Amino acid sequence: MTVKAGEPKSRLDPEPVPRRDFLGLAALWAMAGAFLFSLAGMLRLPKAAVLSSPAKKFSVNLPDALADGEAFVPPGRAVALFRDGEGVHAVSLICTHLGCVVKPGPEGFECPCHGSRFKSDGEVVAGPAPRALPWIKVSSKGGAWVVDEDVKVPAGTKEKA
Amino acid sequence: MSTPITQEHAALQTFRENLLAAPRRLLDATFRSGKPTTDRTRSTFVFGNVFLHLHAVRTHRWNLRWTTTMGLGIASTAAFLITLITGVLLMFYYKPYPDAAYDSIKDIHFVVPTGRFIRNIHRWAANVMVVAVLLHMARTFYTGAYRKPREFNWLIGMGLLVTTLGLSFTGYLLPWDQLAYWAITIGANIAQSPREVTDALNLTDNFDPGGFQRLLLLGSDVVGDEALIRFYLLHVMILPLALVMLMAVHFWRIRKDGGMVRPVDADQRLAPRSGETYPVFTEAPQKTYQLAAIVKGKTGVVGRGPENTVPSMPHLFYAELAVLMLTVLICVALSLVSDAPLKELANPAVPENPAKAPWYFLGLQEMVAFSAFMGGIGIPGIVLVGLGLIPFLDREEKGTGDWFGGPGGWPLVRRTIPFGFGIAILIEAYVIRFGWLREWFPSIPQLVITLINPGTLLTLAYALYSVWLVRRHNSTRAGALGLFTCFLCGFIVLTIIGTYFRGPNWVFYWSPADWPKH
Amino acid sequence: MNKNKHLLLWSSVGVFLLLVVAAWSENSNKEWRRIQKSASNAEGALDIHLRQVVNTNLNSADRCVSCHAGMAPGESELKGHAILAAHKPVVHQPADYGCTICHGGQGRATDKADAHGDVHFWPQPMLPMKYSNAGCGTCHTPLNVPNSDKLASAQQAFERLDCLACHRVGGRGGTLRPGGGGLEGPDLSNVGFKGYDIAWYDKHLAKATAVTEGPWKASFGAIDDVQRQALTTWLNTRVGSSKLVEAKAAFHSVGCMGCHKVSGVGGDAGPDLSRAGEKDPGLLDFKAVPGERNLSNWLKEHFRSPVATVPGSQMPAMGLSEAQIDLLTMYVLSLRRRDLPGSFLPKDRVQVLRFGAREFATDGATIFSAICAGCHGADGKGRRYPGTQAFPSIAGQDFLSLATDEFITETIQQGRPGRKMPGWANEAGLKPEEIQKVVAYLRQLGGNTATKPETTAPRWVKGDANVGQRLFAANCAGCHGAKGEGGEGPALNNKILLATATDTFLIETIKAGRRGTAMQGFESPSPTRAALAARELESIVSFIRTWETKK
Repeated sequence: MTVKAGEPKSRLDPEPVPRRDFLGLAALWAMAGAFLFSLAGMLRLPKAAVLSSPAKKFSVNLPDALADGEAFVPPGRAVALFRDGEGVHAVSLICTHLGCVVKPGPEGFECPCHGSRFKSDGEVVAGPAPRALPWIKVSSKGGAWVVDEDVKVPAGTKEKA
Repeated sequence: MSTPITQEHAALQTFRENLLAAPRRLLDATFRSGKPTTDRTRSTFVFGNVFLHLHAVRTHRWNLRWTTTMGLGIASTAAFLITLITGVLLMFYYKPYPDAAYDSIKDIHFVVPTGRFIRNIHRWAANVMVVAVLLHMARTFYTGAYRKPREFNWLIGMGLLVTTLGLSFTGYLLPWDQLAYWAITIGANIAQSPREVTDALNLTDNFDPGGFQRLLLLGSDVVGDEALIRFYLLHVMILPLALVMLMAVHFWRIRKDGGMVRPVDADQRLAPRSGETYPVFTEAPQKTYQLAAIVKGKTGVVGRGPENTVPSMPHLFYAELAVLMLTVLICVALSLVSDAPLKELANPAVPENPAKAPWYFLGLQEMVAFSAFMGGIGIPGIVLVGLGLIPFLDREEKGTGDWFGGPGGWPLVRRTIPFGFGIAILIEAYVIRFGWLREWFPSIPQLVITLINPGTLLTLAYALYSVWLVRRHNSTRAGALGLFTCFLCGFIVLTIIGTYFRGPNWVFYWSPADWPKH
Repeated sequence: MNKNKHLLLWSSVGVFLLLVVAAWSENSNKEWRRIQKSASNAEGALDIHLRQVVNTNLNSADRCVSCHAGMAPGESELKGHAILAAHKPVVHQPADYGCTICHGGQGRATDKADAHGDVHFWPQPMLPMKYSNAGCGTCHTPLNVPNSDKLASAQQAFERLDCLACHRVGGRGGTLRPGGGGLEGPDLSNVGFKGYDIAWYDKHLAKATAVTEGPWKASFGAIDDVQRQALTTWLNTRVGSSKLVEAKAAFHSVGCMGCHKVSGVGGDAGPDLSRAGEKDPGLLDFKAVPGERNLSNWLKEHFRSPVATVPGSQMPAMGLSEAQIDLLTMYVLSLRRRDLPGSFLPKDRVQVLRFGAREFATDGATIFSAICAGCHGADGKGRRYPGTQAFPSIAGQDFLSLATDEFITETIQQGRPGRKMPGWANEAGLKPEEIQKVVAYLRQLGGNTATKPETTAPRWVKGDANVGQRLFAANCAGCHGAKGEGGEGPALNNKILLATATDTFLIETIKAGRRGTAMQGFESPSPTRAALAARELESIVSFIRTWETKK
């Protein structure tokens, strides 16, 4: 914004702007850098570091009277446990379509939201669900069964006591 | 057959060109005047941008002197923006329900990514904002910037001060810890303190403004979930909206009232322009860029030779951004050094002792200890009314735009400071040492104490002093200078005593180390 | 303008640097990260993230397991830092219940000082490991806990009768017989809470008589009533927290409840202790307390010297042993009783809160030691604390031979208004059958002294009260006070006393005195004074009777 001495000055001549203003640019970029860095920090905030829901891994005692092929749903969980001659397995009750909790019935599972139906091994029979209900990892621990809802296992995996 | 195909080709060709040109045209559409590289394009840029056009395209060199405003207005705004952004972030996790509120603050402190830091910044920026707003008001007062034609903006500024304090106060309850709970209990009872007068006059059964205010504030008879949701609503919705609206009016009025205040002889007093500034409009001294018929005040130009202005972009913007970043720096630094407090969960059964309000209310709390009504409502009311009346009582012109301008000037202020401090300390010391009417005459009616207490006496002493100044200097401005300075001193003394020297049961202690352990 | 540019530049650079520092301290400089970095399990290194136990019913989120990762839900056998060890086996799964419900501390915190609660403004710091069983008191309260002596003899009975041969209790016993043969009985560690077959003795006996050899023959035989009673006591107190039961037994041995209420039962001379374990250390005075500023140290010092820790406290220094103080501290720490959702109230607590079940065993000995022993002494011979009036001896033969069961019962029920002795026939007191047990125990303490039957009418004395006044002033007022208000000796102007005591009781007491106390018999002369004649005794009684009508 300097004007050389002796140059004509006129309101019609716009003020010349220097090409390089190192100090000004450095200041502006430093400010931009600080803001971008703080923006990155602020964007981290909405992603919760811990969830307010109970752990997905839990232990459960199966009732002695549980019949072959009968589903046992631990209270408050979306998992059905089955016991038969080959062992114990667990099937997720979260519909693969849009996440409703399916209801165990005599011939498998039924989703109340959009009518998907599944066999008792999780396979889709009808409705919009794109995939079979996944099987969930079960392991035996001192008479109880430990279910880890976060770990899926191939269908057909059964755990012996 | 071939013609339509060619036309189709041509249309596709145009489509392709338009698609490629879209980014450039988006830029053109955004910056309508082209790249802001010259003085003229910059002016158009500033003029045409909704955020920037709050500024005039050119700024007087006087305004850019650091001592003119010290950037306090911008600092207040910057602090508000910081609290706004951090506040919105905190709302991701905060749950305005008792107990859940406390747990959510604990979560913000311990597990939310950057949560502790963001909360600290929010808290410190809020404090910085209160300080900046108070100092900004002092600057406006001492430079006489409230005078005609800026009377209305001075009133808006007072509204901003009250809203700022309200925001800070409502935010105080949200953590739902002991500190919050008991400070708000006291605050709510100050709102109820007109009962002190209506009780004394036996009116409360029929006329109970105090009870009404408290009920309105708390939504219940105790500080509970109703109060929390009300304070939350005030803190995140009502008061910020009010503040933003007042700010918009405030900024707009700065322009409409003729820009920043400056002394009539500012042009002569400015150092000759250096090489870096560029004279403009020299060939057209009759130019005005104000609509003189609509906008009040004198135009800066007519018949007064060359203007002393520089383009706002970049001169003013560098200054503003510098103050903004300085404010951010202060808030961030304080946040790293000191965590925002969080005491134990609010427990209505165990009063905090002492329960202290935020620091800027401790001066009031000190006076509330003498009389709830006078300290909490009476004297603050008198002060607010007095401040509001200043521009209408002081119609003088001498000294406008100068620090401590007007009759008396800096020497008057300098002599007033020891007086203001001295008399406040004297009265406080006397009360702390000898007690007050209630201790001497236990059966004295409350109304007498409401009227005659250390707070009212201090106010009276300041008022008499200022009347004496008016007579002596034959100038309202002189009285105002003295009175404002006195109240500033009194505020400082009472705040310091309330903050550092009051312990359990609001008893005077030289240091917190002497507090009795319960 | 360059000034402003410089200001902008350096402010921005400063902000940037401070943000870098903040980011570093938040992301790298965290203790739990360092601990988790050192950990590995069977599948390799642990992923590093915040861990927690959420219990929505308790509204708790315990992040303790971010450092104590071996106790996190689903983790097992972590190697690395010592802090990564798994929890020892307990009834309540830590991965379901969380940590703070038992241990206290601040579950939401993620650094050590805050989490352990050793900070200002956290009212419930962690219980010291030594007293961690006190955490059971958050929900549970062991019922029917006898005093320490009875508990010890119950344990002895259990061990002497070789029950540990087959049964396991608290990790002890239950080993198979040598040579592989034999039986393993059920684990009895929690039977007091879970319940057991009350017909066990007959069933055991039937099995033992049916066989001719083997462990049933070797380890089981007939058990007499007294020992079976002891075994019942032992079984009822096996509630999975034997240390807490021991502590509670100690509490039931030194008469604290004579002055303090717990769960609504007890005297009211001292503060209600029902939630004394929740005291906020931030509100206590630690001036006289050595060591760390925590509640357990404060309590210990308080037991040693109540007045030093709580100025103006009326509680006397009880002269407790350090071992007793340790146990009592644990018990008081267990009086926490956090407000829990109804579904979390265990049945023992429900029985106390809703059905008035007793936390102390209701045999005479335990009631006496839990309530009366503080003032009257464990032996009933009275106690005297520095700075207080002496408490009367009530187990002496002189007293018991005069006092009828009705007199003692009446006294316990009504108390002595104006004195420390409260009445016990109220909601916070004892049931009639419990008072009977106390009376019976008192007789037992006094060597089973029977009362001489009174043949005279309750009021037969017709002395001269004026003469009596003179004699009283000369002989009695020194100990009993000029107006009978009591001093060294008990108060005599007490309406309840005068209503319940017969003339014969009073005359005989004056005549024979109370051996073992300062009260000498006036039947015979002593070196310092002459004996009193029968007519003089009657005058004194007549004078004492005048207080019955006066205010």
